[in-house]
Amino acid sequence: MYRGVWAALTRCFKVPQQAPNLPTVEGGMHRSFHPSPRFLSYLKLYFWVAITLINLALIGAWVMLYLGNPFWAWVLSVPLIGLMVIPDLIVYLALHLRYDTMWYVMTDQSLRCRRGIWTIVEHTITFENVQNVDVHRGPLQYFFGISTIVVETAGATVGEGQNEFAVGNKAILEGIANPKEIRGLIMERVRRSRSGGLGDDETIWGGEQERWSREDLRLLEEIRDELCSEKSL
Amino acid sequence: MMIKSEAEAAAAVGGEEAFDPRTITRPDESLLTYYLLVSACSLILFPIVFVPLFIRYKTLKYRFDSKGVSMSWGLLFHTEVYLTYRRVQDIHVTRNIVERWLGLAKVPIQTASGTSGATMEIVGVREAEALRDFLYTRMRGARSDESGEKATLGSKPEGTLLLQQIRDALRESRSREGSQA
Repeated sequence: MYRGVWAALTRCFKVPQQAPNLPTVEGGMHRSFHPSPRFLSYLKLYFWVAITLINLALIGAWVMLYLGNPFWAWVLSVPLIGLMVIPDLIVYLALHLRYDTMWYVMTDQSLRCRRGIWTIVEHTITFENVQNVDVHRGPLQYFFGISTIVVETAGATVGEGQNEFAVGNKAILEGIANPKEIRGLIMERVRRSRSGGLGDDETIWGGEQERWSREDLRLLEEIRDELCSEKSL
Repeated sequence: MMIKSEAEAAAAVGGEEAFDPRTITRPDESLLTYYLLVSACSLILFPIVFVPLFIRYKTLKYRFDSKGVSMSWGLLFHTEVYLTYRRVQDIHVTRNIVERWLGLAKVPIQTASGTSGATMEIVGVREAEALRDFLYTRMRGARSDESGEKATLGSKPEGTLLLQQIRDALRESRSREGSQA
């Protein structure tokens, strides 16, 4: 049933059903994934706690009314049940929609995140521009075994009252079950970068020829070894 | 409106498969519809909200060139923003439900400037995905040949060749000495 409602809603809201595409080189990595299914359970836990509290409050109010005026209590019972059930269904569907619309795409060069139902937001950054990667995990997230990875560029932070997913310098990856692997993948690509990630060209830094490359060092070692063996003769 | 029709003509000549952002000089007409809808939500404040948006729509101009993009708007208070593609840090694409129905999108772009919010927010473009990919491919680090590997895997720098020659010469003299002994 959920799939049917989902298909109708996505058509109506013009929500794209496929993962976002990211241009990549031939044979390069192209990995697209949703958050971990445990992220959905994590969201649902909040949902169940919230509806239990709200419905208990509603039932409490109804009992008070019943003790005071049973007639009105029975009259109001029908809209009350509606009030207890309908918003819950909508929120429950919205949780699933939220989960299904969250996509992360990684290639060797860049990262793209998509999320949103009413407003669909896509954020693209290149690893060349990444400044730092943070991994956050709260106690509840620890229980579910998920983390939030925040990838920051040197771009401006989000302004007051603005949606941090729609603008700003943070690519936020929520509900990641394997944060170490993902962070490793990102940092490996960031380390490969030789610039400060501010749009600077390599030539500004004196060019590659003035630096010792790995091969240069290996050659120097070989020369040293040659000389050492000469000494030992 | 003259500029708009010119842009369309250029787009028609360029063909559909090759997206050329230089043809984007004005926002799409449906942006005005969007602004009308947004202003309508403010009910009694409609004129106050709509007039600035209308002026913005009427004066908004884009210019994409080989190095960067400029965007200008305003009648009394004129603003022009120019940025180069290489310095782009983040590209977002956002579309709310009304924008999706109208086929529009916002493309906020950020550079490493310190101000909060986007450096430039391109609005009223129909081909947001194509524009985003165009910007992405010109952003630093989007092409694999730009990454650090190039230096070690490409042609050998002069210094490395020199070191190689020294090693080989040393080895040769060593082996000669060895055979003589």
